[in-house]
Amino acid sequence: MIAREVCRRVLQKAVSTGADYAEIFAENTVNHTIGMIADKVDSIRDATIAGAAVRVYKGLRSVMATTVDTSEAGLIRCAEKAAEALGQGKAEIEVVLRERLYGDIHPIRIVPMTAGNAAKVDILKEAYFAAREYSDAIKQVEGTFLDVDHNILIANTEGIYAQDRQIRTRLIMTAIAEKNGETQTGACRPGRRMGLEMFETVSPKETGIHAARQAVTMAGAGYCPAGVMPVAIDNGFGGVIFHEACGHSLEATSVAYGRSQFSGKLGQMIANPKVTAIDDGTIPNAWGSINFDDEGTPSRRNVLIENGVLKTYMIDKFNGRRMGMAPTGNARRESYAFTTTSRMTNTYIAPGDDKNEDIIGSIEYGLYAKEMGGGSVNPVTGEFNFAVNEGYLIRNGKVCEPVRGASLVGKGSEVIKNIDMVGSELDMGQGMCGSSSGSIPTNVGQAMVRVSSITVGGR
Amino acid sequence: MDFREFKDAVVAAATAAGLVDYELYYEQGESISAGSVQRQINQFTNANSGGVCFRAVINGKIGAASTEELSTEQAESIVARAIENGETIESEEKVFLCEGGKSYEPYAPSGLAIPATSELVDAAIDANDRLLKVDSRVEESSAATAMAEKAHISIFNSKGLDLSWDNTAVGMMAMAITSDGNEKTNAYEMKFGELSGDLADEITAEAVRSAISKLGSQVAPTAVCPVIFSPDAMASLLMTFCSAFSSENAQKGLSLLAGKEGAVVASDAVTLVDDPFCEKNPFRINFDGEGCPAHRKNVIEKGRLTTLLYNLKTAAVAGRETTGNASRANYSAPVGIAPFSMYLEAGTLTEDELFAKAGNGVYINSLGGLHAGANPVSGDFSLQSAGAMIENGKKTTPVKSFTVAGNFYELLGKITDLSNEVIFPSPSGTTTFGSPFVLVDNLSIAVKYFLQRKTPRSFALRGVFVHFMRFISDAPFVFSHRRRAA
Repeated sequence: MIAREVCRRVLQKAVSTGADYAEIFAENTVNHTIGMIADKVDSIRDATIAGAAVRVYKGLRSVMATTVDTSEAGLIRCAEKAAEALGQGKAEIEVVLRERLYGDIHPIRIVPMTAGNAAKVDILKEAYFAAREYSDAIKQVEGTFLDVDHNILIANTEGIYAQDRQIRTRLIMTAIAEKNGETQTGACRPGRRMGLEMFETVSPKETGIHAARQAVTMAGAGYCPAGVMPVAIDNGFGGVIFHEACGHSLEATSVAYGRSQFSGKLGQMIANPKVTAIDDGTIPNAWGSINFDDEGTPSRRNVLIENGVLKTYMIDKFNGRRMGMAPTGNARRESYAFTTTSRMTNTYIAPGDDKNEDIIGSIEYGLYAKEMGGGSVNPVTGEFNFAVNEGYLIRNGKVCEPVRGASLVGKGSEVIKNIDMVGSELDMGQGMCGSSSGSIPTNVGQAMVRVSSITVGGR
Repeated sequence: MDFREFKDAVVAAATAAGLVDYELYYEQGESISAGSVQRQINQFTNANSGGVCFRAVINGKIGAASTEELSTEQAESIVARAIENGETIESEEKVFLCEGGKSYEPYAPSGLAIPATSELVDAAIDANDRLLKVDSRVEESSAATAMAEKAHISIFNSKGLDLSWDNTAVGMMAMAITSDGNEKTNAYEMKFGELSGDLADEITAEAVRSAISKLGSQVAPTAVCPVIFSPDAMASLLMTFCSAFSSENAQKGLSLLAGKEGAVVASDAVTLVDDPFCEKNPFRINFDGEGCPAHRKNVIEKGRLTTLLYNLKTAAVAGRETTGNASRANYSAPVGIAPFSMYLEAGTLTEDELFAKAGNGVYINSLGGLHAGANPVSGDFSLQSAGAMIENGKKTTPVKSFTVAGNFYELLGKITDLSNEVIFPSPSGTTTFGSPFVLVDNLSIAVKYFLQRKTPRSFALRGVFVHFMRFISDAPFVFSHRRRAA
């Protein structure tokens, strides 16, 4: 993308006012999205993102400048801006770059960018019409096929010069069902760090049916009663509870400033001993996987919590300085236009040895959250809230009628103490996680868990 | 290559491909911001970004492609990709490009310039310092940011349209973290305006006041009672449910306002305005995302739905004129529909009179979990709230830990009174939402929650303004399924 020698000269310019670290992040990305609604291909978004960011650090100060002009002259100007904003001083670093070939543990067989629109439309339609034809109650279906070809280059004054090509594919189906004048939506959104071969293992048809079934189920449901009760949260996207309740608070982004509910708690028992939580960016071809992070640190498997004890945070270089800790391969950014910070990759609660039927059977009166929706958290307080897209009441250890409008509300530090049963069937769900460094693909995951007591919001 | 050269290259490629109707949209911006923690700049950013979107009519459908790289190669590539994309589209709705030669109302640009780096840095540190001095309960990790953005848009098409727009916004943001020794609370406040000590005092005082007001709150009782929404809370609701006013959503069965134009959809106290020239929006503009003239309109007038919001495509489907509400979230986003500045028109009562009229009820000044607890299609919401009790016509004990539940469409019909001043909290995306204090009859208030949290409000204005957020290193997080480029 940018020659090593050019990068070296740009970095040398970047440290010309005394920076102790400088970095170039350059990218060329093609985002392609095909949308269907009302039974027709309705919109296509096709965008090339191309630009670069130069970051410099001096102690705990950081400056970033970005440019869409990735010629050497444009990059040098960008480096000058960063250097000038850092202040007065003279170069203290001689930049040497050595190429790194980290390799690619996420092989791609059918590159979406060159597959042509027709092949993607076929997959989209298979899913779309499976949802459309599921039931007469389905009033509208929206479908999206999206693929991303994200090429990045990272060079820094620690000598790293590395490139990666991140290809991802995703199918998003949303179905709207109507019963007695009430509408409800259902959705299914599988994604992988794969090309079109993803659909050899993920059935488009099942994706459409999943969305439609959920919409029809929920359209017939009454409102969820509110109250404090035990909740069984199913596997897959149910892992969003950990992502929101704890994951964000374990990112250096908030830990470094002492703003996290888990600041200063390394080595302490912060969760139920049943809980072991892992962030692993090395799962082959998983949605949140990377070869190395956006600062050039190789991705790895980090055990965040082991049997309830806090083992590590997720750390990027800049926040790591404040914390006096090494980076963990979690530095991520949506694009060159965002400042990198510590983020999650594929984050999940490790499977335990409880059986699903025992978890459900243990609940006299509570909620079975079969599928979670989105949510949000305030990492200062740990307070979170997320929607239950598909929920059922549990009575006397049996799953009963569906209920809609439920949400789970709580505080991260409390909920992870209340996860007192963990099933054995691990599954992952895909989402886009939004934070200060933009929107990035992450997996959430878990086996079915029981939260012994949590506030359920309803009506 | 600059935009003019790129435009020539695109016109040449489009002509060579035999295209007759096409359009080129260009958006460019420079944003600078300085973030301060512990009275030191911890992050400074100077971001230049921008790109072009080429749209062409291919067999009666719109094909589009966009790029940030302005080169001859990309000029040819976006034309070729737009053709392939247009050939894939099946929707039979007619598409149009805006004709040239229309007249446009004048708009008042801010007249501000991007401040010098040193000015921005000094302002951020000064605001951070003032923030820490507001109250002894303010934590050292509280932060302040000063920022500015210059934005440029141009639209050019084969029908003689050739428009451009420039504007600059300057503003500050404070994030207060407060503690009473038992619990921590936080709040954000952002305002536009020239950098000054007065502006810093305004935002820091408000952020601290808001964060402190959440400390040590009581739990609200369960009730069905009158509710007063603060301008901030009502603006959040408008933001969440404004998609109901999109004609595109109505035409696709995603809004319950479909077919309701001319009908009563709210109480007669309600007038809902959309105004592209609203002084409170730092990005006032006189044309929409398709280059059509933008104008002020009452979407709801005294309870009656006057009009939905249209662009050229949806207007043609409905057999009427566009309302000039075509929107582009950024240069590469498909043309959609959005309001410019949407607000509830002021009523006649003072704030005190409004509370007196409510008698006994609940005041809500903070709503949380809007993206999870609110369904824009059905209008249902069940939201985390915080505020205060209203007793004998006065705000009394601060309360948290409750939900307010209802339906947006029903709520519009239950609005009985509005106070006499419209307030505009921070903008969201390209739209600014505003509201007076609003009294709503009988909403369901329930004690279910032991928390209060301010909704994660996006400070993004034009696309590049999203950079503001990254200086607040613990900005609220959102995990979303929402459709966007992965």
